[in-house]
Amino acid sequence: MEDYEQELYGVEDDFHSQFEAELEVLAELEGERGSSFSLPMAFLEGEDQRGRHMGRPRLSFEEAITRGGAAPHPSPARSLRKDKDGSRKREGDSDAQRDGPLPPTPKRPRLEVVKRLDFGSDDELMPNYPLGDITPPPSPEVPAELHDHGYGPRNLARSHPRPILPADVHNPVLGRPPVLEDYVNVTSTSGDRVFLVLRDDPVGTGVQSPLLEVPWHSRNQLDLLGVPFASLREQVDNERREHLIEEAQRFSDVLRRPEDEEEAAQSTGPPKEEPEAADVQDTSQHWLWVDEFAPRHYAELLSDDFTNRCLLKWLKLWDLVVFGREIPSRKPRPSVEPARPGKETAVSSKWKSHEQVLEEMLEAELDASQRPRQKVALLCGAPGLGKTTLAHVIARHAGYFVVEMNASDDRSPEAFRTRIEAATQMESVLGAGGRPNCLVIDEIDGAPTAAINVLLSILDRKGPQEVEPGGQAGPAGGRRRRRAEGALLMRPVICICNNQFAPALRQLKQQALVLHFPPTLPSRLLQRLQEISQQRGMQADPGALAALCEKTDNDIRACINTLQFLHGQGRRELSVRAVQTTRVGLKDQRKGLFTVWQEVFQLPRAQRRRVGQDLAVPAHTLPTGDLGPCVTDVALTSVSQRFHRVLHVAASAGEHEKVVQGLYDNFLRLRLRDPTLGAVCTALDWLAFDDLLARAALHGQSFQLLRYPPFLPAAFHLLFAAVHVPQLIFPSSQQEAQNRMNQSQNLLQMLVSGITPSARSRATPQALVLDTLCPLLDILMPKLRPVSTQLYSAREKQQLAGLVGTMLAYSLTYRQERMPDGQYAYRLEPNVEEICRFPELPTRKPLTYQAKQLIAREIEVEKMRRAEASALATQGPQVSEGDLPGAECPVRGEEKGVQHPASRNHEQRLERMMSKAVFEEQPERDFFGRVVVRSAAAPTEDAAPKTESAEWRMGTAVGRSHVWFRFNEGVSNAVRRSMYIRDLL
Amino acid sequence: MVQIVISSAGAGGLAEWVLMELQGEIEARYSTGLAGNLLGDLHYTTEGIPVLIVGHHILYGKIIHLEKPFAVLVKHTPGERDSDELGCETGTQYQVTALIKNKILFKTRPKPIITSVPKKV
Repeated sequence: MEDYEQELYGVEDDFHSQFEAELEVLAELEGERGSSFSLPMAFLEGEDQRGRHMGRPRLSFEEAITRGGAAPHPSPARSLRKDKDGSRKREGDSDAQRDGPLPPTPKRPRLEVVKRLDFGSDDELMPNYPLGDITPPPSPEVPAELHDHGYGPRNLARSHPRPILPADVHNPVLGRPPVLEDYVNVTSTSGDRVFLVLRDDPVGTGVQSPLLEVPWHSRNQLDLLGVPFASLREQVDNERREHLIEEAQRFSDVLRRPEDEEEAAQSTGPPKEEPEAADVQDTSQHWLWVDEFAPRHYAELLSDDFTNRCLLKWLKLWDLVVFGREIPSRKPRPSVEPARPGKETAVSSKWKSHEQVLEEMLEAELDASQRPRQKVALLCGAPGLGKTTLAHVIARHAGYFVVEMNASDDRSPEAFRTRIEAATQMESVLGAGGRPNCLVIDEIDGAPTAAINVLLSILDRKGPQEVEPGGQAGPAGGRRRRRAEGALLMRPVICICNNQFAPALRQLKQQALVLHFPPTLPSRLLQRLQEISQQRGMQADPGALAALCEKTDNDIRACINTLQFLHGQGRRELSVRAVQTTRVGLKDQRKGLFTVWQEVFQLPRAQRRRVGQDLAVPAHTLPTGDLGPCVTDVALTSVSQRFHRVLHVAASAGEHEKVVQGLYDNFLRLRLRDPTLGAVCTALDWLAFDDLLARAALHGQSFQLLRYPPFLPAAFHLLFAAVHVPQLIFPSSQQEAQNRMNQSQNLLQMLVSGITPSARSRATPQALVLDTLCPLLDILMPKLRPVSTQLYSAREKQQLAGLVGTMLAYSLTYRQERMPDGQYAYRLEPNVEEICRFPELPTRKPLTYQAKQLIAREIEVEKMRRAEASALATQGPQVSEGDLPGAECPVRGEEKGVQHPASRNHEQRLERMMSKAVFEEQPERDFFGRVVVRSAAAPTEDAAPKTESAEWRMGTAVGRSHVWFRFNEGVSNAVRRSMYIRDLL
Repeated sequence: MVQIVISSAGAGGLAEWVLMELQGEIEARYSTGLAGNLLGDLHYTTEGIPVLIVGHHILYGKIIHLEKPFAVLVKHTPGERDSDELGCETGTQYQVTALIKNKILFKTRPKPIITSVPKKV
């Protein structure tokens, strides 16, 4: 915005020459009226006047703002009118009457002006304003002080005056707020904000200026300039953009790798960057050195050669499907091979095996759609190892156009899917030079799991099984196939992460070619740093650079950034001291929990003491007596350094609780060389203290205490750190304990809710756990003979009844359960044994299956009895009032007596049903179906027909016949009778 | 050897009855029994189809010629007292009173006759 305004000011002179006449008049009015005071309220008055001076041109607000940027727009008529108005105004109120009968000559131009200015809408809005009143309002007014001194009344004739305009015109409309004066800010409809200086009105009368008549709320764009201001601005913007694009183009030309990438890869030594550096020297102030000195070619990469080569090989596997090239043709290429001997690391045997595994993976066959087995490469390693750079360089090297997605992009699953599909299935038309895309997903460990699942689903899409063999599946064929299948992934995807153990990546890792980045070799980094500092003219001795490398943990980015920072500070010499005192900004990184624990429990590897390293060890306050072996073992790494380091790690780990749990679970598994267990006691004290802290911080919300918990890992480090690699396990004890507690509490709740109220009044959960349950379990285990209950002696019966009563009182019972091994067993329910038995202690001999079964049965029976008894107790009075005294009942026993009322009820119900049931009177028949005539029934039926005699007679034949027919469907009801001859005789 | 004497009243004077076979049962509405009650009306349509109206049922039947005609015999015993001990010797006689050569078979489901349709439904 600033330079923009500058440009505007540049045009100002031009404007003055164009609109000198108007300015002049304005100035003239000004001079007469003097300065005035401005408030928006005054504008109403302005409009008031506008109604009267219909045709008078007014300076619009926009015009006032854009005075500087005005384009040539010659409007003589307008200026004429202005002149006229001005003069009229100057002459005073009396002139206003003469306004009406104007000479015909100026009328025409005035109309023209009206048309051009398009004030119509505003004028129509104010037709009701009184025309006659012209007395200037005494209220404060808009500042008319457009121009001060030197702008006296000029020649007002129709000839165009040509005043000389001074460059420093005092403009009351300011682009930014004035520093010393009061001001009012005004925002136009187009969003421009200007500031008006507030001035006192010395005269007091306050004459209105023509500025008052500015149509402040005119909705239409004023066409004062030939070209609208917005388009002017756009033009300027365009110019600037073009300029920028041009510049960017130049840079990209510089940066673009040479066409022949193989040759570039062949050259082993890093190519000199001097010409480029010279090119960009002037702009390099705005560049990060990290970007500036980023490797452009494969050979410049600082990262581990093997990793580089693996990634390149993997990427080359895509050649067949992407470019349609044969893979074997690529093999003899020397570009891959020479890098091999350049590997100077002393690789451990373990690493070698991993290497072989990787090699095998890369040698593996392509899958059915001619793609590599692993569709994704996952680069993981600490920040600053050059993973992103490697991905970019190699992708470009292999002829791809890199499409990068990183943490700053939208990572919602939908956006992720769109972007992945856009990157893998489309080809950019512009800029990429027809090269296929290679998708680089940076910082994928920060992506939500859902987004990664989207990626996985895209990877999992199956290609068609039939694929034309050989290389004639050219790009065209490949494209056709791709289109047919829709969304088969046909482009390589490289994912980059810092923390490969992020839970979201678990699935992805199984499908990906996982490349671990070993730490950058300090020698290579050192060399690069030296090159950079030489190019930048910094004096840096290797020692200092080595210290820098060490300080940043061989983080390339941090090293170079620090260098640039120091360079930017004006230092031309890099000393060890400077490196030590500089705070290095490392990329914020979350270390995994295991890393944190390992940091705590393992001593850092001893390092060579460097000359000049300030190892002033302040005596730390922790109990030094406990860390005897540690200190002697690693005398070289100072205790305070270690302390601060662990403190930092612990503070940045974030999940303090988990960290502490891990420490708690692991610290006793370490090899403790402390016969008195003093360290363990101290550690336990620390843990207790940590609990107290957490409790105080979270309960009392005194979060300032949260500063202290990170000291616990530091203390543990000082107490337990050892050289050997600790065997760490993930802490689960807390979780287990929590689970068990919840389970026990649930059990207790269940138990308490089932206890009879009389017992419950004395059974609080705590009392149950501490006092009752343990003895209760013993009480519940009587010795029962394994015989039938009928054979029990009276004493045994009583014992059993007591047991059942006790169990019922605590709502305990035995329930049959199927064991995992298929057997059945009776278990106590609710299983209070779990609450009050330690699992490690030997269990007492449980009751036999039969005994439990017996008890369970007895409990059920007793329950039923009690339920019946209670039901009887509530129903008792009703039954006793029953009118039937039950003939056989008094003989029954006690238990039967209990059941008696139920049967009585049943009988009653049945009788009632019987009495209610209406029996249809049917004639009795004998065996043959013949109706047995009853003499008694006859008289009753005679009465009925006679009552309804009329109907009876009418319907004898049809409706009321004495005989009716019942149809037997499908049944032959023939009767066979045996006849004896004697019956016939 | 038992001999049962069947005699006919005369060769030309034998009456011809018609057997009526109903699939179903005839029941008495009142418990007085069927005896003495009117069964119903038997009509023949113009096509010669027999129509029987029993109670509020109407049955359509057909005439079937019996391949083996039946004879209707009436037993004549000479005396009550003799029949017990003397048996055939006393001469129980059967007399053919009628012949049955056709039967009317009503085996279809009867159709109800609705006499009084309620005015208001």
